[in-house]
Amino acid sequence: MKVIKIDKNDWTRGIDKSRETYQLFGPVTDKNQSVFKQLGKDAYPEMGRTDTIMSPKSVLFPQTEKILTASLDESVENHHIMQMPETDTTPRAVIGIRPYDAKAVQLVKLNFDTPEYRDTYWCDAYEATTFVGLAVNQPSASDFSTSMGSGPFAEEGLDLLLVDLDDHYLAKVLTPKGETFLDGAGFNGTADTDASLKTIQGMKEAAEAAITSLVPTDKLKEKSLLDLHGAPFWEDTAFSCINCGTCTFVCPTCWCFDIQDETKGKSTSRFRNWDSCMSPLFTMHGSGHNPRGEKTQRVRQRFMHKLKYFLDKYDQGSMCVGCGRCVEKCPVNIDIRSICNTMNSYEPQK
Amino acid sequence: MNTYTKKIRELASNLLKEGKVDLVIGFKEGTVPMATAPGIARTPEEADGFVWDANCSLNLTNYLTNKKEKIGIIAKGCDSRSIVNHIIENKISRDQLHIIGVPCTGMVDKNKIRGLFEDEITEFKEEGDVIRVKTGAKELTIDKQEYLRGNCRTCMHRNPVIHDDLVAEPVVEQKLADPFKDVKAIEAMDADEKWNHFENLLSGCIRCYACRNACPLCYCPTCFVDEANPQWVGKGQDPTDIRTFHFLRAYHCAGRCTDCGACEDACPMDIKVRDFTRKLVKDSFEIYGWEAGLTLDQRPPLDTFKPEDPDDFIK
Amino acid sequence: MGNLLEHMGIEKDRLHFSWISSAEATKFVDVVTKVSEAVNALGPNHKLVKNAG
Repeated sequence: MKVIKIDKNDWTRGIDKSRETYQLFGPVTDKNQSVFKQLGKDAYPEMGRTDTIMSPKSVLFPQTEKILTASLDESVENHHIMQMPETDTTPRAVIGIRPYDAKAVQLVKLNFDTPEYRDTYWCDAYEATTFVGLAVNQPSASDFSTSMGSGPFAEEGLDLLLVDLDDHYLAKVLTPKGETFLDGAGFNGTADTDASLKTIQGMKEAAEAAITSLVPTDKLKEKSLLDLHGAPFWEDTAFSCINCGTCTFVCPTCWCFDIQDETKGKSTSRFRNWDSCMSPLFTMHGSGHNPRGEKTQRVRQRFMHKLKYFLDKYDQGSMCVGCGRCVEKCPVNIDIRSICNTMNSYEPQK
Repeated sequence: MNTYTKKIRELASNLLKEGKVDLVIGFKEGTVPMATAPGIARTPEEADGFVWDANCSLNLTNYLTNKKEKIGIIAKGCDSRSIVNHIIENKISRDQLHIIGVPCTGMVDKNKIRGLFEDEITEFKEEGDVIRVKTGAKELTIDKQEYLRGNCRTCMHRNPVIHDDLVAEPVVEQKLADPFKDVKAIEAMDADEKWNHFENLLSGCIRCYACRNACPLCYCPTCFVDEANPQWVGKGQDPTDIRTFHFLRAYHCAGRCTDCGACEDACPMDIKVRDFTRKLVKDSFEIYGWEAGLTLDQRPPLDTFKPEDPDDFIK
Repeated sequence: MGNLLEHMGIEKDRLHFSWISSAEATKFVDVVTKVSEAVNALGPNHKLVKNAG
C-alpha cells in the first residue's frame, strides 16, 4: 500500500498537468448549487463543497446519449443501416467523487457488465475512467452510507482515495490506474506510509462515528418477497408521492433508460434517455395495459428494487449506497430510511 | 406547539370523530429540517400528527383530483384558490370537501435560507415572525418576511377565499405598489435578452417533471410531453425540447394559475419556473381583469368567449 | 400565446393572427404581404429550432 502526500500549493499545478492526459470531471458550483460537470480549461474541482445535487453517474451514463445513427439518403452507402457513432474513449478522471458514489458505480456495473451482455457505451466509458475519491471528513445528517455497505472513507470502486488534512492531501493508492493518474499529474511527494495509514484510520473511525443516521437492514434478506410485496404499508407510504422523477434522477444507482429515435432531414439517430419507474409511462405496454398503472405500485417497485429484489438477485447488499440525495430532494419528503426501517421490521399478520 | 398546529389538530380530529369526513389531508412533520410531508389522517389519533409552519409550501389540492371520499383539507390562501379551480373544472365537488382554511403569513424560500450557510441546516424553529436556524457551525435569527418565497412576497390573497373553518382570525392582506415588478423586468428586455434569460433559467433542468407533478392544475391523464402517438416533444436533454416543455406547460395554466409556487418548491434544481407562469398571471389580470380561483360562479377567461373580449391582436 | 412567446424571446413580428373570410382575397394578399415583410425584416429564426437529429 502506497501513500503519496500532495501539498495543496501543488494541487492546481498537478490538476493542470493531468489535463494533458485526462478529461477532468469534478464538483463545481453552478447557479449556487453544487453539480458534477466536465471541467472547462480554467475550472478546478471544488473539493470543499458539500455533496453535489446530482451524482457523477452521468460521467459514464449521460442523461441523453446518442447510441446509433443512420443516413436516410439512398445515394449514400449503407443508408438506413444503424451504426455506432464515434465515441470518445480517451482517459477521463473524476476528481472528488465521494466514496458512496464510487460504490454506486460498482453496483451499476453489475447491470451494465454481465457475463451475457456488455453495454459497450457504459463499459467503454468505465474503462476509460479513473476515480479519484475524496474521503468525507464531516458526513451530512442525511448520509447513511455506513448502513449500506459504504462509508465516508470506503475504498470500493476507487482508484485513489484523497484524505483532506487542511494544508495537504494524503492520497492512498488503490489501483494501478490510480498510480498512473498520480504520475500523470506529477504528484510524487513521499509520505511515511505507516504513519499516514494510521492517521487515515483515525480519521476514518471519527468520520464513521459522526454518522448519526443508522438504518437497520439486517432482516431484509430473510423476509419473504411476497410478504413485503403484499404488505399494507405501501398505500400510506405512497400517498404523498407526486410521481416526479427526482429520486430516480438524483440517485447514483438508478440505471433505467428509455430509447428514442429522432430524425431530421436525411439523418436519424437513436438516443437513450434516463427513464424513471416513477412515471406511469415506464411500464405502459403497446397493448395499452399497464402493469404498474397505480402510483402505489410504482412507489413499491422503487423501494422493493433497491432494498429487496436487488439484494435477492445479486446478494451484494442493497441497491442503495446511503448518499441521502433522495431524502434531501424529494419534494414531499418520502424518506428511504423510514421505508427501509419499515420493511426490515415488517411482520405479516398471521 | 404553535396555535395553528394546535387548532388544525383539533379541527381535524373533531371532523373525524364526528364522522363528517372520511379523511383529512394535511402536513406532517418531515424527517429532515425544513421539510414537511403531505399526509392523511383517517382517525382522530392520526390527526395529532399534523403540523403547521412556514415549510408547508406544497399545494395539497394536488391530492384531491378525482377523489371519491369526503375529504377534509388544509388550505392556505393560494391553495383555496386552487380548490376553487378544481371545483370549477369538475375534478372534485364542493360537497365532498370540508376546507380548513389557514390565514397565511407566507412560506419561506428554503434555498435562500440554505444560501446563508456553508454547512447544512440542523434545526429550523419558527417563533412568530422570527426564525432561528442552526447549523453545525453557527446559529442565525432571521426575519421571516425577508425570506419569503417569491410568490408569497407578491401574494394578494393570504386568506382562504373559500373555507368551512378558519384556524385563526384573517390576516391583513398585503398592499403592493406594483405586484408585477418581476414580470416587467423581463418585459423590458429585448428579444435576445429574453431568450437568453430563459435559456440560462432552464440550463439545469433534468426533466424530472417535479414542477408539473406538484402543480394542482396538471392533472391530465397523459401529459403532452408523455404522449407517444403523436409525439409532440423530444424526450432528451435538447434545450429546444426542454424549453418546449416548460413553455407549453405554462401556457396550459393560463388563467388558471394561482401562483401557489408549488412548482418552484418541488424543483430539485432550484429553477424559477414561475418566470413563465407569472407572465400569464399578469396578462390574465391586465387583459381580462381576472385572478384565478376567486369565485365559484365564473369560468376562467380562456374557457369562455365573450363578444367584448379584447381582440386587438387580430390584424 | 403570442404574449408568452414574445415574453420568452420570440420576436413579436414572427407570429401573426388574422381573420380573413374566403371572400376577402384582397385582404388575404395584403396580410400575407405584410407578414412576409415583417418576417423578412427579422431574418432567419434560430430560436426553438432543434439542431440534433
